[in-house]
Amino acid sequence: MAPLQKRAWYSLIIGIVLTGVLVAFLVIKGDVTAFFADENMRYILYAVWIGVPLIYWILVDITLRKPTQIDERDKHIIEKSGKAQWMAVVFSLAAWTIALTEVYREQRQVPVDFLTLILVSVLIISILAQSFGILTGYWRINRDV
Amino acid sequence: MSRIGNRIRRLRFDHGEMTQEELASRVGCTRQTIIALEQGKYVPSIELAFRIARSFGVTLEEVFQYEAES
Repeated sequence: MAPLQKRAWYSLIIGIVLTGVLVAFLVIKGDVTAFFADENMRYILYAVWIGVPLIYWILVDITLRKPTQIDERDKHIIEKSGKAQWMAVVFSLAAWTIALTEVYREQRQVPVDFLTLILVSVLIISILAQSFGILTGYWRINRDV
Repeated sequence: MSRIGNRIRRLRFDHGEMTQEELASRVGCTRQTIIALEQGKYVPSIELAFRIARSFGVTLEEVFQYEAES
């Protein structure tokens, strides 16, 4: 298995775990507004939301810089996976916009807590979509050309 | 399968049974790409194709063949 393919599997697992954790938190707390009510928890979460993408970006960059880890075939697959990632992010933002507009149209305002939730969900979707795109790319190459 | 065939496996054996890892290291790609090339599942860039040919000391067409549709 190619190093990039391995990394995509790890990212996919991380994305699924993050989704599970997020859903579990929301189910336990019961309400989005209660989830971010604690000030300390809010600051910890801010650090996590900035830290996780930063660490992820650094790890990807380190992988891409190693010539023995990645070559033109892998780069071609990464480029193609970017399309899946972009589409997933756009569709998830569209889904959030439609859902929040329909739910809060009468009140004419959306709770600020949703901003963090939108950011987290888009980050997770982005990680999942890129991993899925990379794995699909390898599957297609291994199937036929 | 690709219509670009190649003799990489044959050339490796003709060059002292060079391993896939060794060839990958010489031409600057991963072993997985050499495997995909030998199986006809990947068509390399012109640059990589030249590097492979030069690593065997042969011309491009001695490594890669275009099988035109009849």
